[in-house]
Amino acid sequence: MADSKITSKEAIMLIVTIFVSHTIVTLPENLLSNTKSATLINLIYLGIIVSLLAYVIYRLLKNFASLDIIDISEYLGGKVLKNIIGGIFIAYFIVTSSNLLREFCEGLRVAFFPMTDILSILIPFVIMLFVTNYLSFSSNVKAVSLIFPLVIASIIFLFFGNFKNFSFERMFPILGKGFTDTFITGLGNIFAFSGISCLYFIPPYLKDPSKMKQISLTSVVIGLLYFLFCTATVLLLFSFFVDVDEVLPLFSAASYIEFGVFFQRLESFFMLVWILEIGAYLMITNRFSISIFQKMTSIKYQRPLSMIFPLLVLGIALLPKNYSVIRFLETNIYAYFIIAIVFVLGISILVLANLKKKKERKV
Amino acid sequence: MNFKKLFTYTPKDEYHFTLLDNGANNVSDKKETVTEPKTVFPSLSVNLEFVKSKYNSMINSDIIVREFNLLARGKQYSAFLLYIDGMIDTEIMNKFILEPLMLRNKSNLYEFDQNRVISEAVTNNITVRKVKKFNLADYIMNCLMPQNTVKKSSEFSKIFNDVNSGNCALFIDTLNIAFDIEVKGFEKRSIEKPENEMVIMGAHESFVENLRTNTSLLRRIVHNENLVIENISIGKITKTNCSLCYVKNLANSDLVAEVSYRLNNLEVDSMLSSGQLEQMIIDNNLMSVPQVISTERPDKASSYLLDGRIVLLVNGSPYSLIVPAVLTDFLSTPDDKNMKTSFSNFIKWIRILATFIVLLLPGLYVAIASFHQDVLPSDLLYSILASRETVPFPVILEILILEIAFELIREAGIRVPSPIGPTIGIVGALIIGQSAVSAGIVSPILIIIVAMTGIASFAIPDYSFSFHLRTYRFLFIFLGYCCGFLGIGLGFLVYITVLCDTSSFGVPFTSGISPLQKTVGHSYFLQPVWLREFRASYLDTKKEEKQEKISMKWKYPFLKKEDL
Repeated sequence: MADSKITSKEAIMLIVTIFVSHTIVTLPENLLSNTKSATLINLIYLGIIVSLLAYVIYRLLKNFASLDIIDISEYLGGKVLKNIIGGIFIAYFIVTSSNLLREFCEGLRVAFFPMTDILSILIPFVIMLFVTNYLSFSSNVKAVSLIFPLVIASIIFLFFGNFKNFSFERMFPILGKGFTDTFITGLGNIFAFSGISCLYFIPPYLKDPSKMKQISLTSVVIGLLYFLFCTATVLLLFSFFVDVDEVLPLFSAASYIEFGVFFQRLESFFMLVWILEIGAYLMITNRFSISIFQKMTSIKYQRPLSMIFPLLVLGIALLPKNYSVIRFLETNIYAYFIIAIVFVLGISILVLANLKKKKERKV
Repeated sequence: MNFKKLFTYTPKDEYHFTLLDNGANNVSDKKETVTEPKTVFPSLSVNLEFVKSKYNSMINSDIIVREFNLLARGKQYSAFLLYIDGMIDTEIMNKFILEPLMLRNKSNLYEFDQNRVISEAVTNNITVRKVKKFNLADYIMNCLMPQNTVKKSSEFSKIFNDVNSGNCALFIDTLNIAFDIEVKGFEKRSIEKPENEMVIMGAHESFVENLRTNTSLLRRIVHNENLVIENISIGKITKTNCSLCYVKNLANSDLVAEVSYRLNNLEVDSMLSSGQLEQMIIDNNLMSVPQVISTERPDKASSYLLDGRIVLLVNGSPYSLIVPAVLTDFLSTPDDKNMKTSFSNFIKWIRILATFIVLLLPGLYVAIASFHQDVLPSDLLYSILASRETVPFPVILEILILEIAFELIREAGIRVPSPIGPTIGIVGALIIGQSAVSAGIVSPILIIIVAMTGIASFAIPDYSFSFHLRTYRFLFIFLGYCCGFLGIGLGFLVYITVLCDTSSFGVPFTSGISPLQKTVGHSYFLQPVWLREFRASYLDTKKEEKQEKISMKWKYPFLKKEDL
């Protein structure tokens, strides 16, 4: 663990990386299909809610110094609860990363490798995970923090590169399908902020756990800005985008960027940055899964697991038969699955553990 | 089976030499039954016999054993000198050793009491005298040897070690010690201009092969009594002298201890160069990325010493090693600090660009040519396609042919005698390149790509780092060919993760870039000279501040410290 400690800036970049990676695939499209032209307002509204939740999580974690949710579950309900919660979060990380990987690889196949088998596109990611899992956690985080500025720059460039193509009237009606759809049923879009789950696992890795508040709030704000840039790009660029069956909406948006005669087709370069981003996401979620498993089983070293988890991700990524099955799972199952685990289960565990602690203190 | 025998006839009476591989000559495995004497004998003849056998003086032409009679206090003693011809200064030997010892002079003819009375006291008519007994060894050392560096030594190993370094040993009958006298005087190269690390505005001195000359160069520049130069000998056979140099009140003590620990725990027969030493002390040899800075420039080494780092010198090597090293060090030159900040930073940007070109450009070209033709504007794409029309090879083979040819030319250019070197470059670059294009073996665009990569590799200041990038470029070519941008992207991610995992003497290799931390005055890009107030925090030096907050005091003469 000594070499696994990370600074608060690295922690912010790590969390934002987890936040934003789903935007590369169909997240903007899913958000837009739920709340239409009110998506930007909806995102700001959700951003405020998630900031409050992040603050609540910080306050709840504060009483447990540098323990993560797995240790806290053990404190709350012994080893049984620890294993249950650990298993659920491993499943969450593996399933979401497998789904994201498969979806992204499907996009890659459409864009670059139409004749290639999906397995051949998935395998390079798995090999990458084999290698990075062998290295220290802090090296993974440092690599993420090196990639992070590129990812941020890419989305800003994408937004301003497409600026001349934007039709600002597409923002209207500003409340989309109405107040209820934007602010009540639109709450469902909170699944976009699932990256907040990292907050449950980050405390043991922090060099300075007292900066948890700054980390939680800053990462939510940066994540929100990123979402706004992505969604605004798609919303303002495509008319009734939700009706268009695009695999990677941001990739399609990138193809509209033109600078003079020479720079006309830049989407491949954007894809290069997004490959790095997806790789970084997989790297971190894999490390979290391995770390949870290590805690559950009390095994001494992580290295023996470094090949098992990437293979698990590969196996689950291959399960859906085709792209439409993935989309179905994502819109109808994963979104609720994420909300239940990240926002309900996680916070409930923390609240109960805090109550227990309060009770113990009184006694 | 010897295939040569199948096809050729070899007469049996022809002389053949084979080096037997049956271990008959391998004496190191056998237990040595004869124990060698460790300390000097009082009998000169026994010492003489042992020294002659140890040095094989019967067959060794440069080992000189000079026997003579020494005159001390009017008495004669048998003695001999042991030294290596060519390693000593004969004039010093004759004038300051043999002459005072052999010729009659005031000192050695003094013939009064052998015992000297120091004090005398009379109590109850009894006289008590405190007498200092005559000691021949002290007498010779103090009165007969007008030499600045003389040591008494009783261990043969120490004596032989110093004789091998160019000292001479004086053995005298009845004494169980020998005098180790410094008379070094071998030929050595004078200080010249650096050949591989040229600068425009810096000093033009470089290290040489002689260790003492190198330490004196550092002393002259650092010019402070806190500079410590520890000697450590490495190698069971060669006992090569190495120097561990650091500024005591700057360098982290744990770092010094770690480097010293590694140096003192090398079980090797020989250590002939700094390059060998580098490979023996770094944390990880698997990744070819250099983890130690190697420089031939004393000004660069001194600058790092003053930053709190450690410099290692190896006798016989004109390169010093600097530890710990971080990624940004390999993209910096001594000139950076001598030039105006804006110029330096501009050049530093160019070097970053050069790094990416060397590492990724050929791979990107292969990826674009194989998978991502869409990134090119139509006109350019057509011209590339047209230029490749006559090329019979796939793009991967085409680029490999040219890259390997370029490496061949570069290697040949280094190895051939210097007058022919430039010719090789011209022949290789112009004639072969032009002919290859004309013959339709390679396309002109590829010549541009390979040439740009080659030129960019020369813009990287550190040779080892440039070499590292050149080798890894082949990996990215392969990845680009297999998976296009996907391969390059994931390969690059793995590459930077491995870099982030690397450390040099406990310091993360990517320090200053990632993790992000206080890098005031010490990030890759330089701040104006008056803002370079701190030493790098990753070095955890004893003194963090490098200069005062107001370094240009002349500009603010009325500003008091409490106003800051």
